[in-house]
Amino acid sequence: MIRKIAFNLFAWALVLAVAFPLFWMLVTSVKPQFELFRRPPTILPETWTFEHYIGLLKETNFLNYFWNSIILSTTTTLIVVAIATIGAYSLVRFKYRGRETLAFLVLFTYLLPSVVLILPLYLMLVQLGLSNTITSLVIAYTTFALPYALWLLRSFMAGIPEDLESAALVDGATRLGAFRDVILPQLLPGIISTALFTFILSWNEYLFALVLVNSDEARPLTTGVMNMLVSSFNIEWSLLMAASVMMSVPLIIVFAFLQSYLTRGFGAGGVKG
Amino acid sequence: MTTMLTGRRNVLKGLAATTAMTALPRAARAQETTLRWWSPQSAPLQVAAYQTQIANFEAANPGVKVVFETTSDEGYAPQLAAAFSSGEVPDIVTHLPSFAIQSYYANGLVEPFNDVIDMIGADDFFEGANDVFRAADGNYCGTGIGNSAANMLWLRKDLMEEAGIDAAPTTWDELRAAAQAMQKNGIFGAPLPYGANSMTTLIFAGVIHQAGGQIFDTDLSVALDTQETRDALEWYGAMREVCPPGATNYSWGEAITAFVSGATATGIYTGRVLGNVNAQNPSIADSVTCVRYPTKSTAIAPWTFNDFPSVFIPAQSNNIEMAKKFAASLFDPEGYIQQLHAAPGHVLPVLKSINDNPDYQNNEIIQKYPAEVELMSEAAAGGFNLGYESANHPSNEKAGEVVGSGVIAEMVQRVILNGDNVDEVIGDTAKAIEDIMKG
Amino acid sequence: MATRPKTLLERHYALLGLALIAPTVLVFCAVIVYPLISAIYLSLFSIFTPTLEGEWVGLANYRELLTSGDFWSALRVNLIWTIGTLTLQIVAGVGMALILHQNIWFRSLARSLILFPYFVSTVVAVLVWKWLFNDLYGILNHLMMTAGIIDWPIDYLGMMPNALISVILVGAWKYFPFVVIAVLARLQTIPDALYEAARIDGAGPVARFFDVTLPQLRDVLVVIIMLRAIWDFKEFDLIFLLTGGGPVNSTETLPLLVYKEAFALNQMGMASAYAVVMMLIMLVFMILYVRRTRSVDGA
Repeated sequence: MIRKIAFNLFAWALVLAVAFPLFWMLVTSVKPQFELFRRPPTILPETWTFEHYIGLLKETNFLNYFWNSIILSTTTTLIVVAIATIGAYSLVRFKYRGRETLAFLVLFTYLLPSVVLILPLYLMLVQLGLSNTITSLVIAYTTFALPYALWLLRSFMAGIPEDLESAALVDGATRLGAFRDVILPQLLPGIISTALFTFILSWNEYLFALVLVNSDEARPLTTGVMNMLVSSFNIEWSLLMAASVMMSVPLIIVFAFLQSYLTRGFGAGGVKG
Repeated sequence: MTTMLTGRRNVLKGLAATTAMTALPRAARAQETTLRWWSPQSAPLQVAAYQTQIANFEAANPGVKVVFETTSDEGYAPQLAAAFSSGEVPDIVTHLPSFAIQSYYANGLVEPFNDVIDMIGADDFFEGANDVFRAADGNYCGTGIGNSAANMLWLRKDLMEEAGIDAAPTTWDELRAAAQAMQKNGIFGAPLPYGANSMTTLIFAGVIHQAGGQIFDTDLSVALDTQETRDALEWYGAMREVCPPGATNYSWGEAITAFVSGATATGIYTGRVLGNVNAQNPSIADSVTCVRYPTKSTAIAPWTFNDFPSVFIPAQSNNIEMAKKFAASLFDPEGYIQQLHAAPGHVLPVLKSINDNPDYQNNEIIQKYPAEVELMSEAAAGGFNLGYESANHPSNEKAGEVVGSGVIAEMVQRVILNGDNVDEVIGDTAKAIEDIMKG
Repeated sequence: MATRPKTLLERHYALLGLALIAPTVLVFCAVIVYPLISAIYLSLFSIFTPTLEGEWVGLANYRELLTSGDFWSALRVNLIWTIGTLTLQIVAGVGMALILHQNIWFRSLARSLILFPYFVSTVVAVLVWKWLFNDLYGILNHLMMTAGIIDWPIDYLGMMPNALISVILVGAWKYFPFVVIAVLARLQTIPDALYEAARIDGAGPVARFFDVTLPQLRDVLVVIIMLRAIWDFKEFDLIFLLTGGGPVNSTETLPLLVYKEAFALNQMGMASAYAVVMMLIMLVFMILYVRRTRSVDGA
């Protein structure tokens, strides 16, 4: 019994140590600025304040960036998941020449570093007159999101028994009909997992946003919030922590309600070996 | 990049020819005129002032929309590089240091500014205020939107008294001794920057001058390899003992926050300190004052770093005429004074009519610290920067690239943080600067 | 007569399959294959970023790159970072997975907390850690000074070797949950019978770990190590935002060098050359991983 309690305490001490930075982010975001400069620092805030959240929403471009990130990540997710779903269906369930090579290519691009693609992509988007737009970021994000989604969905697709589809075909369904009526419902959890992963990847992307977008009109949260740090007139840590918390809101929602889909995605994401 | 005879975008064309990419539709452009305005100066009060200026201009020019966007002191160079290469440029850029524009102008990226200066009134500028913006071809590449004295030594009178220091330091040795005496109870002596950033470059260029040295000679040959540079590195290295440990990453934001929060006994910054202290840490507001940054010995005159915050118009702007009109309107008294008051003593007026305007003088902080503001105005007016090291130096078109390359900050880091051999580092740095000068 | 002729239906299906993969192929060609070829093409030019004016220089960029100290120093830093952070991720990840595999209180909450750093944006992670590391008001320095471990604040990010160690630690914190989840999933499939047998043989917990658990984890660990090695090697955001490659270039990895060449030094051609060389280095890992995945798939 004592050993059990001791082990539990030890386990939780480690878990809390890992989570401490996130706890500290929350605490800092509700401390007034003057309390931050206190020595020794207070652990829990003496005065609670939400002024940083209000300031963030009212005085900075945060909402604008937030909105851009929402549009950007949602669009990327929709496009990528749509293309990847039919692509994965084709890769897993159809036979044609070059299929194996394609699958290999998907895996290869899944591992490709963004930094190799970024300069030509940048020039290409400039040439298309798309630089500084959310569209340019959607295009850029497909470079990593599509291989990722394809890889995940391919693995989910392979897990659906072929008999189901065959049965539908025997019953006279067309392939597309069988896809819609039999495969899609079976694949739904996999699609949700993939969509969540794609959304989070896009939400967190930094490098493309840094290079491709130079205007607040299209700037997403990652570069927008980072810009607040490098300002030369003042560094307001509690404001930055409030921004960090707000930036993690979609993630917190996913964690609270859809976490099982995330862990499922892990299994499919190439780690199953 | 001296003789690039290949046409603009040649590389791009070559690329495009290999694909059918060009067949895709180009993004549609908005019909109404929109001016994009960039500035790295974007404290909330400043942005509020900009919004007044924008509202006034939009009211006077129906159909024109002005959008303000923030850049940063450390970020503007890559951002503008990307903007110039994409052709998606802002229509007007303010508050960048003068040397940055000179570099861009030399590359044909900036519109000559002569007619805007005439619109504002060339005679209204303080004597010589626009000299720093005169380009090699005789045109002006921009104008000043203000002056700033960026390396003032900020002091806490209360801490000086406690430590028994009765006069503000005027030499390096005095400053170091004072900082050491005041460094106690968790308070550090000074927040000098040692980071790989532009602040370190710009401040240390000043320190070389405060040692009696210079980076370029008056013929713009590199004159770094001198005893003065070695003295500057030695003193700057010794000062690290009185700086917070994280000074190795300090830039402007950290430096001002350290002094304003009371964590350091001295500061190095512009007049923005006054506004920030009064807003964020009023308990020390009555104790702060500033003097010119000390030099190695009293025989060497102080050297104030003025970045000459500027206004310029990128040549690729689609609305050059409207941008010029807007640039001139920034100097209208109402908006200009509000802009200056947003950070009193930080950006100082360049127009005589504004400096004498009672509305400008009628400001709580300017009236609370008359001696400090006066001193900063005087110091800034006689200030220099890397593109304009002294009155005898011609304008240095490559200074922006030298700053952007970070070689001077790297020299500081290599010698002071990494302990590399001084002679070798100075040699490398001089060579790197020479390479940039050759282009 | 070895292959029987395809039926009409099979041919129809093959066409349908091609139609379904067509959007993917199109997008791949436009945003991946074409840029990849252009990257190689660009690396043969000297290009001034703001004007994009360029001239053909052939292999000069590569010659300069291989003879310059910058490349080798960045490669060295890149390897230290990858090996350092990967080792920590694996050790911490396996350890934490073993703990979470036990029936501890509020297990699912603990799992959520552990998982969070992996999904949180790098920007958020960096801001939080910079605040923890802060020299004047940072809680880490304060706690360590109170505990008497140090009597002067530590400069976590501005000095060597601290900067590299800090980057490696934050990288491990951010990415070890990936290992935890992958290992945890595998642990749950190890038959209890194996442990029973070991226990009957008189094996203690340590012996059981080495004799039963580790051999069972071997396959999944190999995959995790390869995958994470590839991802860690190409990491840009975390290092760029934490130290910017400094002090001097002590934490500058190849991806950072690509960015610096392109947008700080305005040498886009040279930057492309760095990117291409970096890809060639990674190709070794990638081929290893792809081959392994294929052999497992085929088996």
